[in-house]
Amino acid sequence: MKRTPLHDYHKAHSKLVEFAGFEMPIWYTSVVEEHLGVRHHTGIFDVSHMGRVIVSGPDAGKYVDYLIPTMASTQPVGRSFYTLFLNEDCGIIDDLIVLKRAADEYLLVVNAANTQKDLAHMQKFSGMFTTSIEEITPTSTMIAVQGPEAIQTLQPFVDTNLKEVKRFRHIESDILGSRALVTRTGYTGEDGFEIILLDTGLANDSVATRFWSELAQNARPCGLGARDSLRIEAGLPLYGSEIDETTNPIEADLSWVVSNNKSSFIGSERFQEASKTPPAKIRRGVILNDMIPRKGFQVLNKNDQEVGRVTSGTFSPVLRRGIAMAYLESAHSEIGRSVKVKVRNSHADARVVKPPFYDETKYGWKRITE
Amino acid sequence: MRIREYEIPDDLLYTKEHEWARSLDGEVLVGITDYAAKTLNDVVYVSLPSLDQTLKQFSSFGTVESIKAVSELYSPLSGSVTKINAELTTHPELVNQSPYDKGWLLQMKPSIPAEKKNLLSGKQYGELLSSTK
Repeated sequence: MKRTPLHDYHKAHSKLVEFAGFEMPIWYTSVVEEHLGVRHHTGIFDVSHMGRVIVSGPDAGKYVDYLIPTMASTQPVGRSFYTLFLNEDCGIIDDLIVLKRAADEYLLVVNAANTQKDLAHMQKFSGMFTTSIEEITPTSTMIAVQGPEAIQTLQPFVDTNLKEVKRFRHIESDILGSRALVTRTGYTGEDGFEIILLDTGLANDSVATRFWSELAQNARPCGLGARDSLRIEAGLPLYGSEIDETTNPIEADLSWVVSNNKSSFIGSERFQEASKTPPAKIRRGVILNDMIPRKGFQVLNKNDQEVGRVTSGTFSPVLRRGIAMAYLESAHSEIGRSVKVKVRNSHADARVVKPPFYDETKYGWKRITE
Repeated sequence: MRIREYEIPDDLLYTKEHEWARSLDGEVLVGITDYAAKTLNDVVYVSLPSLDQTLKQFSSFGTVESIKAVSELYSPLSGSVTKINAELTTHPELVNQSPYDKGWLLQMKPSIPAEKKNLLSGKQYGELLSSTK
């Protein structure tokens, strides 16, 4: 099984599980404490398992523009943005964050489980472009610092005033002697940063270990358990649950990643076609009064007929209620609609909502940065 | 007794599925073990049977849920439910904090007392945990 540069710390302090071929912490102490620690203070996550790929060369902008439905070449340097890889049928191959480091250099952060598939996809379409593709996952470390106190936690390590780094922007910095990218993004719904240490990886882990240990003095280490419950509460999709090659961006409620009037990207023809008619199903949030929804549970209308399926469900530590993301037939998907979720032998009362599930005046990055 | 970080009181009987049974005034108190509670991590929801419901030995009578997982509960004995721990509706975390005391699940009146011979002693349950990872 693969390990991250922080494996020794995880082995000593957490319960480890297999995830996407990596041995990763599922929790250190308690999923609920870690979750609430991120919402109220700050948590740190080892996300070094995520795939990191540098695309560079004279045609890098044109190539990335072809690979994704979002305009990359016209964005300013220093921008970080969420986007998708689509196949020619407009199915979702992966979701990713792109960091535009220079006009001719982009860093792509993809899902761990999809890294090899994505590299094959990228190589398949690289022939027409003068560009190089380099995976840097094993030679770098990636740590997320997430929560309302993220700036205070991270600032001592970085020269740039982090308050000046806007959401979905990144800077380059030196951290404990390693070159680093610091991007104001994350997968929790909270304000925070993701840090890629470029000079510290599996074979040379001392800077990564020192950075993590020093962060851990002021922030709570969090495992994959809290990472999942936080992203569900924030309404963020997970590859393999909400999105895959059989779902398109319109159904997934992610068509905002497609830049206006952009054509000639992989999947663009099918996307234009699909845009002409309303989708048969759409991704929504569902909140229950009682009981906990789980992946695969049926969503029912008032006549107990199936109108959808849960794709991810959990107990929300903030709301103290069961919450889920689900695909609902469009006719049953309007916000506020009463539905039921079949939980084993019970039909639990539920309501369709637009995530995030929490009150954005009390939780989430908007209360910090807007 | 203690196996790794898991507490195993000597005076209880156990199922292989990590429930415990304690004799109490001619009835039996039922809960899940320290190992089960710690393995689930945070218990956030407990679903219990209603009063007077009849339970069958080693049959499912409810669920206990963490953030990530749902775990079935299995009755250590056959009998009928005489009390349930209503406190768990608002404070399911008692199962983690006090698995053998405040985190009890239900009390039952056994119908076939001889079934106790199908349960594990503390020592046997400890051996089971020693052999699991």
